[in-house]
Amino acid sequence: MAHDSHDSHEYVPEIAVDRNGKEHVVQGWQGDFDGAKLGFWLFMLTEVLMFGAMFMTLTYYFTLHHADFIHASSELDRTLGGINTVVLLFSALTMGLGLLKMRSGDVKGAKLMIWATILLALVFLGVKALEWTNDYNEGIFLGLETMQAGGGKSFGEILFFGMYFTMTGLHGFHIIIGIGLMLWLLKRINSKKVSPEHHILHFNIALYWDLVHLIWVFVFPYFYMTGAGAIHG
Amino acid sequence: MANHTTVDYKAEKGGYYKVLVGLLLLTALTFIQPSMFLTDITFGIQMLIGTVKAWIILMYYMHLKGEKLIGWTVVFAVFIVVFFFTIVIIDVSNFQYADVSHITSPAK
Repeated sequence: MAHDSHDSHEYVPEIAVDRNGKEHVVQGWQGDFDGAKLGFWLFMLTEVLMFGAMFMTLTYYFTLHHADFIHASSELDRTLGGINTVVLLFSALTMGLGLLKMRSGDVKGAKLMIWATILLALVFLGVKALEWTNDYNEGIFLGLETMQAGGGKSFGEILFFGMYFTMTGLHGFHIIIGIGLMLWLLKRINSKKVSPEHHILHFNIALYWDLVHLIWVFVFPYFYMTGAGAIHG
Repeated sequence: MANHTTVDYKAEKGGYYKVLVGLLLLTALTFIQPSMFLTDITFGIQMLIGTVKAWIILMYYMHLKGEKLIGWTVVFAVFIVVFFFTIVIIDVSNFQYADVSHITSPAK
């Protein structure tokens, strides 16, 4: 393992000598691209399993309270949800282009793309906040009187909105974590600890952002679109 | 070892934009489907479109195309989720405890 008295994260090649006297560079985490990528994929799969369990719960309730779920879904704001879908789509593009620029040596361009992704992530959170505020004003929010038994909504609708706030809230939390990771990435790029030669951190954070996008690809139709037909007939 | 593969910037950038257009078209399809076609099976169609979008994101944005080890690891994880999904669907389709359950009616 490489050690450095100034910064334990700085990439310092360490040399190991085999029995024949041949020297080999010992890989640190920044240098082991494939290992770091595989490790991060394993972490992301735990996220898939966590959200998978939540979707499973949602499916269970959806099957038991089909009509209530469709009715509740039709009450959500598809326009704001749709805007956020497109915002996330473009943020995945800026993140991908940023990584591409980093790999091709354009560090300044990469930083610009990361800032663009952060901006789009903030837009996503802003739209989500607006949507939740509208929901609150319409009496749809966790803990409100209208969301209790006997408060006017059916049991299935209460379950639907409970899952809606839980899952979109957890997804929003992932967006906030993503913004933090991107700011950390910018800091490490500025201190030259992430560079075109050692960009695994950038690669993995881009993967994380794609996962956040991927989860929304299912969250959006599940909550917003299943009840769309209830309005259109 | 650092990833020193040669970057064909123009070609890869073009690829990113092509994927964007594809995903935007599928998103548009998501919006128009409930009022345009196959309205009786909206949920199934929406999930199908979502799956196609997810596959495109995995292959091209998450660089799984050509990744054998990670690709199979992902397939395994998704298999576990789908496996338990199937069990849940079978179970809930034969739900027998509506009278005493707290998830089918308010707790008594």
